[in-house]
Amino acid sequence: MTHSLHRRGAAEDLCDDFVVVVKYSRQAMAADTQDRMRRIWEIFSHHEGNLENFGNHHPNWKGGPLYSMAELKKMDSPIIHAVFKDREKLKACLKEIRENDLGLSVVVSGLYDETATLCGELGIKPHTVNQSLGIHGKTELLPEEGILELHTMCGHAMVSINLIRDMIRKINAGRVTCKDAAKKLSRMCDCGIFNPDRAEKLLSRMTAK
Amino acid sequence: MKIDKEKCIGCEECHPYCPVEAIATVEWEGKAVSEIDQDLCVECECCHDRSAVCPVDAIFMPVLEWPRSLRAHFSDPNVVHPMTKGKGRGTEEMKTNDITGRYRRGQVGVGIEMGRPGIGTSVRDLEIVAMALARLGVEFEPLNPVADLMADLKTGKFKEEVLGERVLSAIIEFKVETDRLKGILLAIKEIAKQIHTVFSLDLISRVNPDGTIATTGIALEAGYSPRPNTKTNVGLGRPLFEEA
Repeated sequence: MTHSLHRRGAAEDLCDDFVVVVKYSRQAMAADTQDRMRRIWEIFSHHEGNLENFGNHHPNWKGGPLYSMAELKKMDSPIIHAVFKDREKLKACLKEIRENDLGLSVVVSGLYDETATLCGELGIKPHTVNQSLGIHGKTELLPEEGILELHTMCGHAMVSINLIRDMIRKINAGRVTCKDAAKKLSRMCDCGIFNPDRAEKLLSRMTAK
Repeated sequence: MKIDKEKCIGCEECHPYCPVEAIATVEWEGKAVSEIDQDLCVECECCHDRSAVCPVDAIFMPVLEWPRSLRAHFSDPNVVHPMTKGKGRGTEEMKTNDITGRYRRGQVGVGIEMGRPGIGTSVRDLEIVAMALARLGVEFEPLNPVADLMADLKTGKFKEEVLGERVLSAIIEFKVETDRLKGILLAIKEIAKQIHTVFSLDLISRVNPDGTIATTGIALEAGYSPRPNTKTNVGLGRPLFEEA
């Protein structure tokens, strides 16, 4: 039931792709809730060099970076997202969040085996899981799997299938690099959960001559 | 979304940004311009402010009246939904379950994410699925914005005025006791044959004390292949409830 759950791809690709979601419950709103959310941004800022992407549902559409960590640390955030590619770096960040005991919900999207192992290493017991059973219905409408792997990194479908095809055409024509194409695709994802590093790898694989 | 044909220079730069292929080139007063098919458009803003792709600022968002406005509510994640007062299309669901205790042991949350990935859905298809599930005695999540489109939560019948609308995705959400899950999953396989779009299916459950997932075996028995990646609430929230 989510924008970060249904990422496609083989386990070998997904092992470098983790989305962290931090959320408060409306049932538990308190005067200091936003202070605690800002504290989460402070913690993420300690790990900024290890983040592939981040955001809070208030994207900057006016040009320049979609999100600025300095701005996020000052803003109210209804939700917080961050993307890691390195499990150990994620573990270090989660450890710091746990030590701060902010009482906010923390969700990790990624391979369950990796997440469960990581929790075990931190002495945390996973509480609740959301399990994807894949795609059903008129699946003949779907594009090929490689396109889907890129597309599903934005669960809200803001990275359109045709934009991915357009980028592949431009890469093949030498008009854009895989890195720049990945950045361009990533900018469409308001939440900051698209993983541009993984996208670059996928695009490189799909356009290899 | 609409395109001002006077301004449009027919460059087609906006076409690939549309997630539902609603933009096409047409002839207008002796020139080629882009036009947005209003039946297909889901008002998601991808061709407009989100991409800022138009070099001549010809694309604009008209004032959306009800029921067309629901297209933006369900398709643009940057729009605040009038019912939930939040952005996005769902609920807190399992994200805050360590705080709320919404899903207890022995219960399973089911999400049928209609139109995902990337295809979109008609509200009529939402109604087909909802009415079939209602006949099985499913109780829909009243806080999910899809419930607000229904005329009757008991039957899954939607309001007449919304049936002609389309959205990028919408989540039919409900909770069942674990012992009912297999029957529901088998029924969903049949329901899937009746619709004209795709859906992503997911299950929410408490993690077993030994770290295994309670729904995996049931899903396998019902003929589904659970994906290796999940969304896991790691349990750092401060609970408002007591464990049974």
